[in-house]
Amino acid sequence: MRQEFRMSVGAHAGEVEKVSAVFARFAETYALPEAVRRSVNVALDELLANELSHGMAGRDAGSVTVEVELDQERVTVTITDDGPLFDPFRQAAPDTTLSVDERPIGGLGIYLVRELMDNVSYQRRDGQNVVVLVKQLVVG
Amino acid sequence: MEISTRTSSDIHIVAFAGNLDSTTSPEAQKKLDAVVAGARKVVLDFSELDYISSAGLRVLLGAAKQLRASGGTLRIFGLNQSVREVFEISGFSAILAVYPSEAEALGAM
Repeated sequence: MRQEFRMSVGAHAGEVEKVSAVFARFAETYALPEAVRRSVNVALDELLANELSHGMAGRDAGSVTVEVELDQERVTVTITDDGPLFDPFRQAAPDTTLSVDERPIGGLGIYLVRELMDNVSYQRRDGQNVVVLVKQLVVG
Repeated sequence: MEISTRTSSDIHIVAFAGNLDSTTSPEAQKKLDAVVAGARKVVLDFSELDYISSAGLRVLLGAAKQLRASGGTLRIFGLNQSVREVFEISGFSAILAVYPSEAEALGAM
């Protein structure tokens, strides 16, 4: 059995909320494990907030598409946009051992995505940025 | 996201329900800043918090820094498995005081 949804997202930060809500409903309908739903929700928030505030900056007619596929074993999220080349995963990991006073504010989002997902990838394809996230339903 | 505050003697308890993410963090920051500005002892109740992203972590870090600068204390309790996982990955469980229950968070404060 395979379920999926696909939605277009406007190029502004307010759209993240819409995607979160649609994904939460999808997760409820297909009884996704809570831990999986929450991890994917966090990953969507990180990538879309990052992309919509930076990647599409200054462009009001950009196109972003979010696709979610669910099968017996995993959830696969594909985020495609037609913005300038931008690989979110080409970023150094933050120093998570610093104390409260030493810590710069920010820089954690992409690191969280990498750690929460089982697999992440980026590809530049046909003038588009394509980010694919995979989360297994069962730890194994 | 719903944020409610209550006090227990001189301790301010701020309860979060819903998600602390890029959408809700500006308002959470505003509310938490207001509490932190007038308090020394602040406890965050996360028992109804569903998930937290880095935008939410930034709000917590800001509050922790502010309280530290003013000689105050920040404690957190009620993390679900997912929030705990995000705290561990980000190293926040090592820099913020996390307690299993409200009683333990309020104890000896």
